[in-house]
Amino acid sequence: MAEPFVKVEHLTKVYPGGVRALDDVSFEVFRGEFVVVIGLSGSGKSTLLRCINRLVEPTAGRVWIDGVEVTALDREGVRRLRREVGMIFQQFNLVKRLPVLTNVLTGRLGYLPPWWSLVNYWPPEVVQQALEALDRVGIREKAGVRADQLSGGQQQRVGIARALMQQPKLILADEPVASLDPATSHSVLRYVEELNRQEGITVLCSLHFLSLARRYGTRVLALKEGRLVFDGPPGEIDPRRFREIYGEDAVEVEIA
Amino acid sequence: MRERRPSPGDAPENPSGGRDQGPRRSPRDVWGGVAFVLLAIGAFAYGWRVTRIDLGELVTKAHLVRPLVRDLLRPEVLERVPRVQEATVTVSLAGPAPPTRPGRTPWRLEVSHRTVRVGQEVELRGQGFAPHRPGRLVWRDATGAPSGLLQFTTDSQGGFQLRVRIPDTLGDRGELVAVVELQETTWRPSETLRLVAERMVETVFLALMGTAMGVVFAVPLSFLGARNLAHGPVGLALYGASRTVLNVFRSVEPLILATVFAVWVGIGPFAGVLALGVHSVASLGKLYSEAIEAIDPGPIEAVEATGASRLQVIRYAVIPQIVPQFIAFTIYRWDINVRMSTVIGFVGGGGIGFLLMQYINLLLWQKAATAVWAITVVVALLDYASARVRERVV
Repeated sequence: MAEPFVKVEHLTKVYPGGVRALDDVSFEVFRGEFVVVIGLSGSGKSTLLRCINRLVEPTAGRVWIDGVEVTALDREGVRRLRREVGMIFQQFNLVKRLPVLTNVLTGRLGYLPPWWSLVNYWPPEVVQQALEALDRVGIREKAGVRADQLSGGQQQRVGIARALMQQPKLILADEPVASLDPATSHSVLRYVEELNRQEGITVLCSLHFLSLARRYGTRVLALKEGRLVFDGPPGEIDPRRFREIYGEDAVEVEIA
Repeated sequence: MRERRPSPGDAPENPSGGRDQGPRRSPRDVWGGVAFVLLAIGAFAYGWRVTRIDLGELVTKAHLVRPLVRDLLRPEVLERVPRVQEATVTVSLAGPAPPTRPGRTPWRLEVSHRTVRVGQEVELRGQGFAPHRPGRLVWRDATGAPSGLLQFTTDSQGGFQLRVRIPDTLGDRGELVAVVELQETTWRPSETLRLVAERMVETVFLALMGTAMGVVFAVPLSFLGARNLAHGPVGLALYGASRTVLNVFRSVEPLILATVFAVWVGIGPFAGVLALGVHSVASLGKLYSEAIEAIDPGPIEAVEATGASRLQVIRYAVIPQIVPQFIAFTIYRWDINVRMSTVIGFVGGGGIGFLLMQYINLLLWQKAATAVWAITVVVALLDYASARVRERVV
């Protein structure tokens, strides 16, 4: 079997307040997979994704990406690693007052000399690349518009374009469609899926709805109270498993 | 998720105690309440006495304030001055006399000698002035400084003849000026208004420079003093240090600062600039750092996640979020500083406040009124302008 692309071993995160967000989580992700992480709110999905690019410092355990041990890197090493790991957020996390184009350009910051930012200088080829990224998500004509003038779905597409600027090997998506309506959710996830299929970018994506997980995921990880309770193909989640993950009272809601 | 709804049992206790149910008041509570009320009455009674409140005085002593209020309502803005006819001849105290310019006016002044000595008596003849009007003869030395020589009245033909001695003077030339006052009068801005306007401009710029000084130091301090940007032990130490500096500076009254600086650099606007500057550093620093702390952490996280450096994160995720607030706070501060500089002037900080204090000390209420109205108008205008600008940037 091939070498795993992302490897997580005994990952544990205890927040200063004593909340155990992740409890001994281990799994592997292979190149080109679209892995969906499901679980209730507070089950540790966000923490798990953030431990992988060390936006959150794990308490214990180890993470590898493409053979590099992320958990052993120093500050500069983490910065270099992050350049190749795109991230998409539930709240889009765009800088609202900046134009769409600048928001997309920020995806490239890790590769540019820091002092260029003092004079807001962007090399022409990087600007070209940003326009192409916007073209790819279908909103090139919005390049000059302030980010907060866009609809939620458009903002998330800017978020995807920003991640695309990093030319990432891996995309971490933290509930990318939780703030969007069902139709927009599908259009956004289709862009992520396209990147996964066409560019071979490995995707690790947390989602609320099992129906979306079934539709887009090649594999599903389920977290419950910080523990990994399921790791397998989406088809294997039967009603019994579903209740294990979401609790006895849960009813599955279909999203069109 | 379901929010916990307050059940009927959670209803707050009726403070008037009109309910039968619920815990009964213990005697201790009742006595505590009575003691509190008595204590409050005692405190207010004592306060009434030490502050010598006597509402009757407002009525019985109203006559004392009436002239003051009347003067305050009549600021010296324009003054009525008589129109004048003026004629000038130039004389030389050394060498040949300067050329005479032919007067365009129908009234003329002629002098018997164009080259003169100090103390020499000369004869002056005026004609073509208004008849039977008072006039004065003025000597203007080479620097243009006037000094009155004598007063006269024109005859029925509007002429006059005068003999005067050339006064001891500066320079080697001088002018003899005859000024005849007409019956008609005209309005012109008063001297007070001119002085007040000059000081008002000084005040606005005093506030501007103080604010600028505040901004220069407050911006770096505010970044150090923002909790959400402080990382690691060094960052936290700097955070604590800058917070302490800001708190200490802010707790010093600008009046005291102005007094200290007036002693340090002398009475004048510079002392005011320094006082307002130091105070502005403290208050702007606090407002700025609070603005930084209030920003959305999402974009910071997102830009950090792209592998951007600290500087880049600040440039693209922090600064765009704080610029509008920074502009708004700065304009607001300038606005406050203009108001404050009035008071600062009272203790030697220069500007309009210093002038106003002099007028008040000399009991020149109408002049003081001019200054007060000028302050009111300028402050109101700035207030309006700053509100408009703040509306637009935020």
